Amino acid sequence: MTARVESPSADSPLGPNDLRRRRFADGDLVFRVMGAVVTGLVLLLIGLMVAQSFQTALPVFDRFGVLGFITGQRWSPTFTVYGAWPFIFGTVLTSLIALVIAVPIAILVALLVTEFLPTRIGQPVAIVVDLLAAVPSVVWGLWGLLVLVPFLRPIERSIAAGPGKVVPFLGPPTPGPSYFVAGLIVALMIIPIVAAVTREVFATTPRLQREAVLALGGTRWDVIRRVVLPLGRTGLVAAVLLGLGRAIGETIAVTMVIGNAPRVGSSVFSPGFTLASVIANEFNEATEELHPEALIALGVVLLAVAVAVNGAGLMVRRHFERSAGRGR
Amino acid sequence: MAVEFSTLLKPTSRARRLKSDFVVVLAVAATLIAVIPLAAVSLYVISSGAGVVSLDFFTQDPPGDLSAAGGGIRNAIAGTLEMTALATAFAAPTGILIAIFDTEVGGRVATGTRLFIDVMAALPSIVVGIFVYSLVVVTQGHFSGFAGSVALAAIMLPVIVISTEEMLRLIPRPISEGARALGLRRWRTYLSVYIPTAMSGIFTGLLLAVSRAIGETAPLLFTSLGNNFFTTDINEPMQGMPLLIYRNALNSAFPAARDRAMGAALTLVVMVLAFNLLGRWLVARRRPGRNPGR
Repeated sequence: MTARVESPSADSPLGPNDLRRRRFADGDLVFRVMGAVVTGLVLLLIGLMVAQSFQTALPVFDRFGVLGFITGQRWSPTFTVYGAWPFIFGTVLTSLIALVIAVPIAILVALLVTEFLPTRIGQPVAIVVDLLAAVPSVVWGLWGLLVLVPFLRPIERSIAAGPGKVVPFLGPPTPGPSYFVAGLIVALMIIPIVAAVTREVFATTPRLQREAVLALGGTRWDVIRRVVLPLGRTGLVAAVLLGLGRAIGETIAVTMVIGNAPRVGSSVFSPGFTLASVIANEFNEATEELHPEALIALGVVLLAVAVAVNGAGLMVRRHFERSAGRGR
Repeated sequence: MAVEFSTLLKPTSRARRLKSDFVVVLAVAATLIAVIPLAAVSLYVISSGAGVVSLDFFTQDPPGDLSAAGGGIRNAIAGTLEMTALATAFAAPTGILIAIFDTEVGGRVATGTRLFIDVMAALPSIVVGIFVYSLVVVTQGHFSGFAGSVALAAIMLPVIVISTEEMLRLIPRPISEGARALGLRRWRTYLSVYIPTAMSGIFTGLLLAVSRAIGETAPLLFTSLGNNFFTTDINEPMQGMPLLIYRNALNSAFPAARDRAMGAALTLVVMVLAFNLLGRWLVARRRPGRNPGR
């Protein structure tokens, strides 16, 4: 054996191990430690913020109980009574409205871009739809408040006066700002997110399967119905969850068009509040006893819900990507 | 994946072709429905903002009273630029370092960090505002532009980490093998090879993060609070463009407040779009045809 063979070389199967041992020497050690310290510091800082917020909210949970706070129907700072239910209701209702409107549109947009249009035209269309997400929340809110609310008010009125008499939840009051308008605005804001994830999902469909259907005389729609949608099912769930996660946390635009009423509304056209919007609206003027703490407690609830929904969405997406990577 | 062949073996009939065409029409209609509001917002902001914007609008401060006419949004522009710049100074180096750390260590630590960053990216911006309020504002005892910058940095950080990681992952194998073959130390490899190679991609991620941060209102509400006066002192409450739009819009019954909101909205949208489109253009140049066609 010559000395050359014993020394670590890139060809040797032992090479990487030797290299790894050497990596801890001098500069690399500093480099790694620096990375670890910065990463650790950021994690610590965020952890500290979460802990602080929890601690601030603690008296509220102590006083009303976690369950009592969440299911409490009444929100009245002047009487130091704080219940989160009207806001949880508002968040759930507006998010549902947003999903019902946004998901079908986003899926169709993704289909148009990936299945029907050639890449050269599809790409610009995708970018234009993405730009919906670039419009700042406050600008959506401004447009919603000054254009959409006045535009929709007569329509809401006629629906409330007509079918609203029979169908529950479509009746009056119809002051203009409402759960419905908020849901609509949020729908516009989450269309690009849902469409982007859906597009990625559809694009992973194996070419062979598409071609098989086409070769059998199938139409483009057959390809979608038999291959693209069934194979993308898991990915679609992820897209919906990620859209929902975004909808739950949407703040300023919602605050501007939802009417800010701390009650459980009797109709989709009633004014209401969401978790995020009540915090935005009341926090700076919160001077009553426990009022700021109660708003931070709402933030904790919002945090829990958003992390749960987004975490589920991320996990489902990862699962989908992994199974797509294996070629299924 | 089982495809039910029996149903497909029928020759393509007119009815089925019609059905397929119908879906195309539906998809086009849906896309239009999605794009119309974008056009409507843009046209509205341009048509009602263009008349308001003038040189004075950028160089004067607003009058103390929202309902009074005249003045400009100088304080808000300065505040937004200063807070965003400081936030970038916080988030960019940190984010790039975290991305490198993640790529470098791999394994369970990286998965954990990555999960944390993903969750951070999904945090509602109002919750970020509350976090920074509880930590920075409460500790300092007052609202400040600094607190606003921290909140914006927290919004930007995950965007930067995620895009940087993606760029590092896209580095062609021959390049990393070349660096290894030259016997470069890891830190040297990143500093002299990887980062320069991925630079335009990393920069793109930065621009997109900035364009996101500029438009955020919720994280500033209880951190920088807003300020009717011009200030560059980072320890004082500071105005931001989104805050100014929000407060004026809520008083839009006054024509002056409404005009101010519209002019500021136009300015803000132009700023956001400039960063956003510049970033996208760089992406498109860097990765031609990477986006999924079919």
